[in-house]
Amino acid sequence: MSSFGFGLITAAVLAIATVGFTMQFAVTNVLNLAYGSVMINSAYVTYYFNQRGASIWIALFAGVACGSIVSWLLNRFIYTPFQRRNLIPITLVIVSLGVDLCGTFGLQGIVGGSYVSYTMSQGHEFHILGMLLSGVQLIIFAICAGVLILIHWLLKYTRMGKAMRATSANPNLARNSGVKTKFIISMTWIISGALCGLAGTVFAMNSGVFEATSAELYIVLLLAAMFLGGPGEPYGAMLGALVIGLATEISAAYITADYKEVIAFLVLLGMLAFRPYGLFGSEKTL
Amino acid sequence: MWFYLTTIMVYGAVDALACLGLNMEFGVAGISNFGYIIFQAAGAYTAAILSMPHAATSNGGFQQYVLGWNLTWPLPWIGAAIVGGLLALPFVFLVGKRLRGDFAAVGLLVSAVLLNLLVKNYIPFLNGDAGISIVPAPLQSIFDPQGIGYQLAYGAVAIVLAVLVYFFLRRITESPFGRSLRAMRDNDVVADSLGKNLRGQRTSVLVLGGMIAGLSGAVLVGFISLWAPGAWGYAETIVLFAAIIIGGAGNHKGAVLGAILVPLGFEEITRFLPAFGPPSLVPALEWVAIGLLIILFLWFRPNGILPERRRVLSTVVGRTPVEVVASSDDDDSVNIGAIDEFNFRAVLPTTSVVNDHHPILSTELLTKSFNGVTVVSDVSITIEQGRLTGMIGPNGAGKSTTLAMLAGTLSPSSGTIMFEGNDITHVPSYKRAQMGIVRTFQLASEFKKLTVLENLVCAIPRQSGDSFWGSVRGRRFWGADDKANIERAEEILEGFGLSQYADAYAGGLSGGQRRLVEIMRALLAEPKVLLLDEPMAGVHANLARKIGNHLTKLCEGGMTIVMVEHELAITDEFCDPVIVLAEGRVLAQGTMAELRANSEVVEAYLVG
Repeated sequence: MSSFGFGLITAAVLAIATVGFTMQFAVTNVLNLAYGSVMINSAYVTYYFNQRGASIWIALFAGVACGSIVSWLLNRFIYTPFQRRNLIPITLVIVSLGVDLCGTFGLQGIVGGSYVSYTMSQGHEFHILGMLLSGVQLIIFAICAGVLILIHWLLKYTRMGKAMRATSANPNLARNSGVKTKFIISMTWIISGALCGLAGTVFAMNSGVFEATSAELYIVLLLAAMFLGGPGEPYGAMLGALVIGLATEISAAYITADYKEVIAFLVLLGMLAFRPYGLFGSEKTL
Repeated sequence: MWFYLTTIMVYGAVDALACLGLNMEFGVAGISNFGYIIFQAAGAYTAAILSMPHAATSNGGFQQYVLGWNLTWPLPWIGAAIVGGLLALPFVFLVGKRLRGDFAAVGLLVSAVLLNLLVKNYIPFLNGDAGISIVPAPLQSIFDPQGIGYQLAYGAVAIVLAVLVYFFLRRITESPFGRSLRAMRDNDVVADSLGKNLRGQRTSVLVLGGMIAGLSGAVLVGFISLWAPGAWGYAETIVLFAAIIIGGAGNHKGAVLGAILVPLGFEEITRFLPAFGPPSLVPALEWVAIGLLIILFLWFRPNGILPERRRVLSTVVGRTPVEVVASSDDDDSVNIGAIDEFNFRAVLPTTSVVNDHHPILSTELLTKSFNGVTVVSDVSITIEQGRLTGMIGPNGAGKSTTLAMLAGTLSPSSGTIMFEGNDITHVPSYKRAQMGIVRTFQLASEFKKLTVLENLVCAIPRQSGDSFWGSVRGRRFWGADDKANIERAEEILEGFGLSQYADAYAGGLSGGQRRLVEIMRALLAEPKVLLLDEPMAGVHANLARKIGNHLTKLCEGGMTIVMVEHELAITDEFCDPVIVLAEGRVLAQGTMAELRANSEVVEAYLVG
């Protein structure tokens, strides 16, 4: 039962990350494989302020800001210029891999290869429905849930959210209908970048110790969750993250922790092979 | 010194082999195999365990692995190539026709990570994270492995292998099959619509690339005598991609140059750098450099140091090829006069067809919906042989979708399609093209990095060199056939007044010229039924009329044409009958005169 609890926390963190990732894909059609490196860089920015005495909950905002700014810069100065050249889509994926290498190993060059962890108290332990969870885990869960509700509100009830959805469905039509798509795309990268920064920090908190390459495998979970729910679908991403998060933690408990990502790999490959547009989508989404 | 030199020889040959194989997949055929490194790993492991004694008897059993057949050279290497090739087969489902290229690439990347994870954690298979060591020296039956002679011989064998592979790949790339691969790279949907079997082509390239990668792994493991998961992390594939992008994708010489500059160069440069910083710093900076090089090259020199060269096919000697710079959409450069005298039938098969206007292609209750939105519903139409049928309707009426379903580009949600009495609803589009249903596209669909002439020749069916084995048999086998095909294409090019562009890249033509290339290409595919999606869009009005006249002549000669067209003047003049679609349904059909009398049609479409 406690693996279910861990699964819920993992799923909540994954949901934040996947929603950001899938939003980037939705409005710009870029599979930003450098996402994991932005996450871990943000986690380190949080670490930097945390080390200098800031409470983790304050330093967290620095991480969020880092994710936001770096993502915006990436889109503005790398992805958008490449896209304007009308290259084949795979070029952008290769570029994002190049960015990922620079981000991850640039960070490793700066901070070295050793593991670090945040200075924070784990809080009281709580027994909830037979699950043993630490105070920090509960806070992480609450933050993630709150942010997801905020995203839901943004997408459903604000003009900005409607414009985002319109841009993702059909950028040309949206532009012709008076949506300032350029601005909307920038905003999407800023918001999704904030999610990325937040996800990086809470991911680092949740794993306890981390180093520059810790998020390397995380992109696989992200992709699995995204493809499960349908690429570019924020609600699908939340659901996909729930399934993948639970599945990895439960399989870690019942099979072996060495293979805990395997289930995510298999889900991802299965989705790509049979339903690349997600469980509920249909082919026009692509 | 000698030892150092031979090491470089072997590493250089291994990297060259790996880059050549990947270049065949990525640079020539357009398959972004982000999991390429697993093929090299499979080859290395296979060569190792085939040449090693059984695990229980070797070295007191300190390592675990399967097989252990104790085979002598070259059997382990052959086995490595075979396993590398076989490993490609499970991935065919990812690179098959339907998946977006970048999604397939992600699938392959993830597979590489997954396999690495599994091999690392499951020790009985290939000794887990520690890897396999003390792999016997392959040539020890011939040379004493301790001597310098052995080192030199090994280097020589490796280089000879790389050279042989280079020439073999060049033979395939420069053949008609290679042309089809490059067409698929430039635009796979269009290649499919011209009768190229994408799955088949990709399978053969993946197997071939896998075999070469496997071989490179075998050569490497025979030299360094150990192999572990750390040597084949997924990021190693990115290094090879960087090599190809820097050297020049699509050019095998570029691949070799990239291999020398990137994997080998990086390895050797760091060897001579003075040690600085903490131990992880230099490798980290290496990765940063590779990432930066990828981005910078893709931006400043996307075709690499040695770009793919333009293939000059035209047989006319002394013609100065026109370099086309992307020009505006005008057709001034098209010699319209020439089309008048040109007889299209000259380039078509001479089988005499009697026009009997029998129903050749028909649909019954054809329906297509996307995400629950029905775009085409219950369309039942019959196309008669030898007629130029027009298809009109307002935007979003489902004209292009219907056309796409007839050609097989889209599969219908329900309903049936019959062609000459056979149900072809589930026949894939490349087979329909081979049966004689050929389409053109509304959007520009030329193969950009093929010349105009290559674009045309590539569409001709039944070329003797347009298969893997045909290409292996070499120019002596397909040369004469190809020459005839090129002449045929030149003839039609002359007829359209575009001869001066024969050897220019099709991507550089103006919009109108590209339309013409597309029509010519479709005609060369020998269609019985030609499906044209707004062929006159962007074409000069005078030229459009002339093309229309010739389409009529083609129909008189036995061809059946369906044309989606916006310009009513065109349909008025040339099309009979005309089908009117509105909101996904057939509103009416008949001659234009009949349609003008139909008030419903006039209201829906013809007004204004």
